[in-house]
Amino acid sequence: MPIPLDTLFFAGALGLVAIGVVGMLASRHLFRVLLCLGLAEAGGNLLLVLSGYRWDSVAPILTGDLPVGVSMVDPVPQALVLTSIVIGVGMEALAVALLIRIRRAYGTLDGHALLARLREDLDERLGVAPDRSEDLPKGHAPFPAPAAKEQEVNP
Amino acid sequence: MNGAALLVALPLLTAFLTPSIGRVSATAARLLGPLVLIYCIWLVAGLWGASLPVSIAIGGFAPPLGINLYLDPLALLFALAVYVLILLAWPWTEGTPGQAALLMLLAGSTAALALSGDLFNIFVFYELMSAASFGLIIVRGERAAHLATLRYLVLSGLGTVLFLLGVALVYFHTGTLNLAQLAQMAPDKLAGAQGLAAFVLILLGVGVKAELFPVNGWVPEVYAAAPRWLSGLLAGLVSKLAVLVLLRILVLVFDSEQAQAVLLVLGLAGFVTGELAAWWARDFVRMLSFSSIGQLGLVFVGFGIGGAAGVMAGIAVALHHMLAKPALFYLAESWGGSLERLQGEARRAPLAAALFVLLALSLVGVPPLPGFWAKLLVVMGLGAKGSALAWATLAGILLITVVEAAYLFRLVGRFYSEGEPAHAAPRLHGWDFTRALLLGGALVAAAFWIVPLGHWLEGASQLAADVPRYITTVLGQGGAP
Repeated sequence: MPIPLDTLFFAGALGLVAIGVVGMLASRHLFRVLLCLGLAEAGGNLLLVLSGYRWDSVAPILTGDLPVGVSMVDPVPQALVLTSIVIGVGMEALAVALLIRIRRAYGTLDGHALLARLREDLDERLGVAPDRSEDLPKGHAPFPAPAAKEQEVNP
Repeated sequence: MNGAALLVALPLLTAFLTPSIGRVSATAARLLGPLVLIYCIWLVAGLWGASLPVSIAIGGFAPPLGINLYLDPLALLFALAVYVLILLAWPWTEGTPGQAALLMLLAGSTAALALSGDLFNIFVFYELMSAASFGLIIVRGERAAHLATLRYLVLSGLGTVLFLLGVALVYFHTGTLNLAQLAQMAPDKLAGAQGLAAFVLILLGVGVKAELFPVNGWVPEVYAAAPRWLSGLLAGLVSKLAVLVLLRILVLVFDSEQAQAVLLVLGLAGFVTGELAAWWARDFVRMLSFSSIGQLGLVFVGFGIGGAAGVMAGIAVALHHMLAKPALFYLAESWGGSLERLQGEARRAPLAAALFVLLALSLVGVPPLPGFWAKLLVVMGLGAKGSALAWATLAGILLITVVEAAYLFRLVGRFYSEGEPAHAAPRLHGWDFTRALLLGGALVAAAFWIVPLGHWLEGASQLAADVPRYITTVLGQGGAP
């Protein structure tokens, strides 16, 4: 028995969301987390398009020569998805820009290590850092940033 | 009535123009925003007298095809709060044109959230609000602010996906995104398990900004990394607009026992975890962040009561928190560092300490202050609801209020204890103290006029909970069920 096409699409969309969400939870590397977020967003968008799609209809463009008896696809979900894609691109660009800054400041993109460092930084900012051992180096950046590149990008 | 569209359009236009103006004159860019905000406050005051509620079709297309703004007393009150709180938080001295532009973007998008009558619009402005708040956190931040923002961004991206899934489910069953039309169709088409699933997805999606229990991990990190005035704005304002959006969706579309039970459980979980974490917190800012999670939990418990009483209880807690938390964050400007080092602060800064005592008393809910009446509304609503879950929630709230009182009064005791101040904390900036004082003064004034305020809020809540009225206002008499 052949599987109906729209069932396949729905399964694909939900699958993308599932892969994305599981990937976000399971990945340690922050760039992977972002990629998985992109996957999940793609799945969500696909599901939205599907929610208003009709297989026997044409694109919702008013050309004036629509044959009688042919209906159009609902344009509202498509408009919503276009908006959502644009927003997603903007957010992801912002996220990648942040990733570059983070990589430069902390020298790593490993989620667990970064979380520990974030706690330390915040403790220090709020003035509740534990008294450090004298042996540990003082200062902020144990991974010195590449000085030449730094100047190139931040003139 | 056309003024209503200006409430959204003007701040957005200002945000667009500010960076260009800043190139010519930084002072002009700094002053433009507050002027526009004051004009918007004047516009809201003008709309206040009009006959409410009213729905305004944007672009000449009548709803449900077109997009509409819905104005009722509650929406106008929240819009007013947006302009007033952003005006109060305005960084006069150290602000850059970029910061001014982002703040205006925040003003426009949050005001639009208060007035929107359409899920599409809500989605767009919700994302705009996110983008503006991300920008504000990182604009002058250190590396910790960048990292905290990225983690916040990823969580809110996940929230967006969940929200879109919920919207897709809703659209699949109803074929509309207009809230009034959804309210019309919901009893038939969204009553089943899929409707509940859609509600939970939308709740978790919007709940990221509203500091809802399982999706609030970003709160302590971001509030600790952001400047204090911005933390106050995020906790006091941005979270409340997300709450208002959730309230509209809940009342109009998903008004069922199960949805209320979900809110009760998640709200109580937020209250318990937030207040317990605040008890363990070692510094002032984290204590405030966790207490904010707790208070937002209480708001959701209020909504979980259901009906006009539930709306009133939740909104009362939200409004109280909207005044108290920014004031506390302004005070936090000089109280960084471990709580133990705040020994004897009352002698160094007696007025600030007294103001803290006032705010703490109100947060805990000591009688004449507004915080007490807000909490009382929640407690009485839960008692009147009478289900087993409501009683359990009631018991949990009363129990955890003791914890809340314990950590706040512990700090009060430390302020007034003997002993020299352990460190030379930075002196509180005069303007920061004035801002906190203004908000504290509003709280005291509310305590004096609590009866007329209560009557007004009751009327506004009944109007917000009146679904048939909403439908006929937006869709005209033809929309009457």
